[in-house]
Amino acid sequence: MGATDLSRLSRRDFLRNGFVFGAGAAGLAAGYAAVPDVFARAVYGGKLDGVMNDRVLVMIQLAGGADGLQTVIPLQDPKLRALRPQLSQAANSALPLDASFGLNRSMRGVKALWDQGKVAIVHGVGYPQPNYSHFDSIRIWETGDPMRRQQDGWLGKTIAANYDSAGHPLVGCACGSSEIPGALRDLDATLSVINGQNTFKFNGADADRAMGVIYNGTPGIYGALFDTSVFSARDTMARLRLAREKYTPRAAYNDNVNLVYSSRNQLASALQLAAQLIISGVGAKILHVTLGGFDTHDQQLARLDSLMGYVDGAISAFHADLAAYGMSDRVLIATWSEFGRRAAETANGGTDHGAAAPMFLIGDTVKGGFYGEAPSLGALDRGGSLKYTVDFRQVYQEILESHLRVDSQEVLGKAFERIPAVRTA
Amino acid sequence: MCAHGKTTAPGGPTRRKVLLTALATGVGVASARILGLRNLDASESLSSLVDTMDMSMATGVAELPDEYDAMFGVPDDSYAAQDFLDASNLPRTKPVALPPVDVRPAVALQLPVSGIASPKLAGDVDWVSPLPKESAKVTHLLRRATFGATEVELDRALSEGFARTVERLIESPFVEPPVFPAPAAPRPSASPSMTPRASASARPSPSASAKPSASAAPSMAAGAASPSPSAPAVLTNTTSINIGNLQGWWLDWMTKSPTPFAERMTLFWHGHFTSDYRKVGTNSPAIYWQNLTWRRMALGDLRSMLLKVTPDLAMLRYLDLAASTGRAPNENYARELLELFTMGVGSYTEDDVKAAAKALAGWRLPVRTEPTAQTGIFDARRAFTGAVTFLGKTGTFNTESVVDTILANDATAPFIVRQLVTSFVTPSSSDTYVARLADRFRRSRYDTKTLMRDIFTSPEFVAPETFRSLIKSPTDFMISAAKALGATNLSGTIRQYGSTLGQNMFDPPSVAGWGEGASWISSNTMLQRANFVTAAIGALRTTPSAARAHERHLDSVLAQGTVNELNLAREDKSRWFAVFASPEFQLK
Repeated sequence: MGATDLSRLSRRDFLRNGFVFGAGAAGLAAGYAAVPDVFARAVYGGKLDGVMNDRVLVMIQLAGGADGLQTVIPLQDPKLRALRPQLSQAANSALPLDASFGLNRSMRGVKALWDQGKVAIVHGVGYPQPNYSHFDSIRIWETGDPMRRQQDGWLGKTIAANYDSAGHPLVGCACGSSEIPGALRDLDATLSVINGQNTFKFNGADADRAMGVIYNGTPGIYGALFDTSVFSARDTMARLRLAREKYTPRAAYNDNVNLVYSSRNQLASALQLAAQLIISGVGAKILHVTLGGFDTHDQQLARLDSLMGYVDGAISAFHADLAAYGMSDRVLIATWSEFGRRAAETANGGTDHGAAAPMFLIGDTVKGGFYGEAPSLGALDRGGSLKYTVDFRQVYQEILESHLRVDSQEVLGKAFERIPAVRTA
Repeated sequence: MCAHGKTTAPGGPTRRKVLLTALATGVGVASARILGLRNLDASESLSSLVDTMDMSMATGVAELPDEYDAMFGVPDDSYAAQDFLDASNLPRTKPVALPPVDVRPAVALQLPVSGIASPKLAGDVDWVSPLPKESAKVTHLLRRATFGATEVELDRALSEGFARTVERLIESPFVEPPVFPAPAAPRPSASPSMTPRASASARPSPSASAKPSASAAPSMAAGAASPSPSAPAVLTNTTSINIGNLQGWWLDWMTKSPTPFAERMTLFWHGHFTSDYRKVGTNSPAIYWQNLTWRRMALGDLRSMLLKVTPDLAMLRYLDLAASTGRAPNENYARELLELFTMGVGSYTEDDVKAAAKALAGWRLPVRTEPTAQTGIFDARRAFTGAVTFLGKTGTFNTESVVDTILANDATAPFIVRQLVTSFVTPSSSDTYVARLADRFRRSRYDTKTLMRDIFTSPEFVAPETFRSLIKSPTDFMISAAKALGATNLSGTIRQYGSTLGQNMFDPPSVAGWGEGASWISSNTMLQRANFVTAAIGALRTTPSAARAHERHLDSVLAQGTVNELNLAREDKSRWFAVFASPEFQLK
């Protein structure tokens, strides 16, 4: 086998033969985690220019199917009142974005960022032939494949294709979770899952050493998963120790007003962990956090307002924290949910599973404003849902190409029409 | 169900390097001897022996005589590539200076070097199956059907043998847990529907992050199931319950029940016909009654089950059937009944969901004047009276005819069978295996007792490739550790770590229940599994001897790393740590 065949080997082929060890102090010390090390250069040498940057992506999953019409609210459309006699009240207290749309009243922080031109709202994001199952639609969004033939997550694929996650397991990290979200999953990527920064440590005096001895060459179909998980845990612990030394959120907050990650807001706690990882420079590149509760089959008016309050508080604190550290121009925040909700409300003041909904892209590199075409309330699909106008993969493509600056076709399989929401200059 | 990425690509996990097959046919006893830690208690450690072995092989293979080489010499590209992949053969790039990095010096984005060496991965080498041995079949069964075993249970099953143990598990009437006591005074509890949390069908793992209100975790010790002196004797459907106590009550019973198979089946159905206390609420014992109902019906026929599941009080709340009327049908229960409970996605249409929603409407919760009702009440005035077309049949339907129509559908038996097989046998069941079981299941009028017996006695259940092919759920893992230790004071610790590891009783991440397999394993959960072991061992009043733990609980089939650590562990507590924290013990 000649040198040209190198490109056909998966990372696992290298890993299982123990080749990756010599990442080399030079490679490690040279810079940021996004810099591919010896292994990555051997395989992906041609891509260096594409991935050499300090951009970070934070995906926020709004799990359960977040309603779009009570988030980015049509202010002028009389059909809203007809479809949603109770829920359309939200329009009365909405924060106006322009003449046609208002933001959910709980999202004052995001509104402030909108006013600064840092928020892009993409209307009507979805995919053909909407699937109303949470499970299936989540999988579609996670894999970037409406045909549901793919197993790996789009973020996991991005990591496997571009970054040396074996040497730097925090490249892809789920914060505030105890399992790997499907979007990050890829067997060719090493990933971290950190539930809480204070609990991410071995309690047993000798456990760290013992686990290192035990998980070394574990046989069986799960062997590599076990070994890399334990390695990732031990390595991450060492990195977190460093991160704690370099990041002191409280001091920063006391100097600023109202910059509080509410301890009662789990999304805020997860984003604070994300901020710590980003700010301390331990090699975080793609982070994923989740907030659930959006499956509002009943009493949606109050429930969604409350949930959007959590989202708003968490994003505001996170962005301000990054800004205080001079890092907000590196980080793109994007929200996603498996689907929006039915246009008409139910008798319980809730909504059933729907289709298209808006996505938010937030950050200093975003070109603020609306993108895409808002779906018409007068032209619903057969099931009574909003028809999509933007394929979610168009937004993925923009995130990959313009923000992370990696090859999106490798992940998404083809090119889509651009949604130019992120500055490329 | 949502196993990890490529491991469940169509066809499921592959075991390309199947040296175990060769071993397992005929040399089971010999291999077990070889794989045993014969020197564990001797002063001389095994490390010298281990050092002579092929580093990438499961322990023990190196001692096999030469003639096995031919059998093991399976052409395998990973090994063919080995020479080439030796680092010294690689076209080494000279240490060129890295291109400049777009990093502002004001912010240190230097990578900290953690100093931890990457593990050496084993590649496609598999565990050597001991399953030809009768004793290994027995321990395999107990791991999968009864959360492992106490010393007493293990001795009994080993003396009975595999076949008799299967019969005993299946035929012993399930012993009921002790009555969960009503609290002394009813406590007001928050309206469940206002909990800002993934309600019923939010399938994404809301996990910890999905619970914005960090509240709720009751601080009362779990397992404190002793009734308070002034407790009322009877729970009514408006009695509030303490969920922490209820979780402890069940976990406690899992470690103590004389019929642990009942608890294993109840946990299976809890994950299948799932409900969570956050949406159901704790202002009623509904979720407790559901647990009792699921246990009583656990080996019954599927028709009776579905007719109990549909009007179950907790289910009525969880999937909104209580809020559904013929005039304004709510699709939530109808959809999950088809998608997750019986047929699986792809075997029905959206129109079937809408039709079923109409046909099932009419159930309501008891009202104040019906305090003793333990199931939903059907109110014909709330029902849909017209005709619908459901799964190709047009007419007027009620709950029974919806269930009967589902049971008449070819998708149902294979769907249920695959769920059970994935949980009890293998993550990658073949279609023919599922079809064979499903055929008998359907012909037995969907009798799950027949099905479970068929599953345990099928050759596939003890086939070499099923050995350690399943990952223990957190509950499986923790209960089996407690039972191995003979510890009965760990339900509080187990409850606490259940939350950390992603499996809280009565609190599944989504309406799809808990995941299976690889989804349990991450850097975070491996860390916390080790921490559970530390906590469990620390909570022991007395530490049992660990001298034979690797034989009793790991079948003496050990990875090299485990052998190394067992030999370094010189006293019982550290030896138990190595046993429970090992990859072998995470598997079943």
